[in-house]
Amino acid sequence: MKALLLATALTMLLPLEGYAQSSDELTKGPNDTANVLNYGMDYGQQRYSPLNQINKQTAKSLVPVWSLSLDDNRSQESQPLVYNGVIYVTTHNATIAVDAKTGRQIWKTKVEYPPETPRIVCCGIINRGAALYEGKLFRTTLDAHVMALDAKTGKELWKETVIDWKNGYAQTLAPLVADGVVITGTSGGEYGIRGFIDGWDPATGKHLWRTYTIPGPGEPGHDTWPGDTWQHGGGSTWITGSYDPELHTVYWGIGNAGPWNAMMRAPGDNLYTCSVLALDPKSGQIKWHFQFSPNDPFDFDSVADMVLANLNIRGQPTKVLLNGNRNGFFYVLDRTNGKLIAANQFVKTLNWATGIDENGRPIESDLTKKMRTTGETVEIWPSVWGGKAWSPSSFNPNNGLVYANTLELGMKYTPTRPQYRAGTTYWGADLAWVFPKDGNVGYLKAIDPLTGKAKWEVTSPTPRWGGVLTTGGGVVFSGQLTGEFEAFDVDTGQKLWGFQTGSGVEGQPVTWQQDGVQYVAVTSGAGGAYVVYAGDERLANVPAGGSLWAFALNPQTSP
Amino acid sequence: MRTPALVVLAWGVWLAGAQVAGAADDQPSPAPSPQLAAEGKALYGQFCRNCHGVNMVNPGTSSFDLRKFPPDEHARFVNSVTHGKNTMPAWGDILKPEEIEALWAYVRTGGKT
Repeated sequence: MKALLLATALTMLLPLEGYAQSSDELTKGPNDTANVLNYGMDYGQQRYSPLNQINKQTAKSLVPVWSLSLDDNRSQESQPLVYNGVIYVTTHNATIAVDAKTGRQIWKTKVEYPPETPRIVCCGIINRGAALYEGKLFRTTLDAHVMALDAKTGKELWKETVIDWKNGYAQTLAPLVADGVVITGTSGGEYGIRGFIDGWDPATGKHLWRTYTIPGPGEPGHDTWPGDTWQHGGGSTWITGSYDPELHTVYWGIGNAGPWNAMMRAPGDNLYTCSVLALDPKSGQIKWHFQFSPNDPFDFDSVADMVLANLNIRGQPTKVLLNGNRNGFFYVLDRTNGKLIAANQFVKTLNWATGIDENGRPIESDLTKKMRTTGETVEIWPSVWGGKAWSPSSFNPNNGLVYANTLELGMKYTPTRPQYRAGTTYWGADLAWVFPKDGNVGYLKAIDPLTGKAKWEVTSPTPRWGGVLTTGGGVVFSGQLTGEFEAFDVDTGQKLWGFQTGSGVEGQPVTWQQDGVQYVAVTSGAGGAYVVYAGDERLANVPAGGSLWAFALNPQTSP
Repeated sequence: MRTPALVVLAWGVWLAGAQVAGAADDQPSPAPSPQLAAEGKALYGQFCRNCHGVNMVNPGTSSFDLRKFPPDEHARFVNSVTHGKNTMPAWGDILKPEEIEALWAYVRTGGKT
């Protein structure tokens, strides 16, 4: 009888221990070093862990523990999640559970989508990860579906259509679960979409709300769009937002306006493109917005990581939002109200604007004004890749610096006037790349968010296209498009260690501790936007091929 | 280092054979008209550029380097664009045959037009 009772108790206990993730667990972030439960390592997307077994002294003893083939030649940008010794990682056509210690695949669930879908994907065939909540794993699909899987078995629990992909809508982002709501966005800013953010019931997949990023008739901000331009005005939402549970607010970056030719959308600021929206997760209601680039001509998406941190501003502890924007300026906002605290240039070369005024509005350069009035070809820095592209950065709370993969690349830009045709590109500009004279496009920088100045920088010919992770051990992790996964000293930028992963690293490194060992994992697999579109032939000998790698200190050689 | 004469000869024989094989596979296309190539360039910008690169310049790893497309394999080009090839989706239901011909004219310029 005792044995039966014990067995019953265990049966009840095991699923809870192994496969449940509560709202409380999701708020722990860096305080839960055994797991990685959030996109961005915590709700604020700081990508920081206090773990210090791997540190400045020991990092040289890092070795690969295992590698798993992802059986896929597309770009690998998925951030692994880790829960109770199981890693969850995604590709564009599969969701995979892996034993974190052995690297053995536990289950793999294929994602099917129509073979024509890549026609409406501008910038690499990608999936950036999943979300965990109450024993379920949530992900999006290239053909615009949101689905839930049983985290234990990989069995599909529900799958809902977001919108008809044939009209240019795709999904590559990891969902966010905030206050019990699964929240997703959409790609398609180059295909004449009207962007939105959706809320879903995690238990059933029921659609709860949709907030359009371009206001419709009668809504505030609609008058920033002339005529019918709002209908195909872009405003994609292709990177996961961050969340402040205390303020009960989700922060979501909004993509570029479409088409790129701003004269086709003038006059008007074209809200809420190139903005950040503060949203109520239960209703999707907009609390405030801040627009980085009004009536943007240069594809300065503002989707990339909205990092939440606490900084001392004029002697006051302040809840801030940090964003290294594509437009080349580093922004610090008060996230309680969206007011600008600081905006400073963080790239070397920037000529589209001369600064940001006290209201947060760019002061456009004569060059940009000339392009707007004449439509002539102009050489603009930074290019449409921005000063920082999608690559997620890390905020290190120990020194208040942001570690970011930034770019130095310009472009010859000529506005064109495309015709809208459903399900095809709606670009609006011709481009030619202008590479920097010294050949270095990539700059990993330790940036002071309040000044935009770098404490140190490490250059690379091709840009680092993946995420950055910093740790309590004083180590910065990031990978190169040429395949090296590397560790640097957080204070000096000195390289501590590197390993060749066999393809380009576009992934997002994470770290956790299991049975007394600190692990670092990252995906490798080139094929993202820069590889296919930037014309950088220095990558001609970097083969495609997706894999997931785990590293730890070699117990034989570490001190 | 000087190239041995035998290697040059062998290369010449191989090249001649390759040209003959190409001719047997598909008739060499006449030189593209600049106007058709310009139309093709505009279509390329709309449908192809984001995977095959601005002016066809790309590393050739995740998508085909079209500058290397054999100029005498017209039928292969039309077939690949119409029905898709490897990771490239089919475009036959979007692009009209004359548009594919314009793209072919542009591809034959090697992106230099």
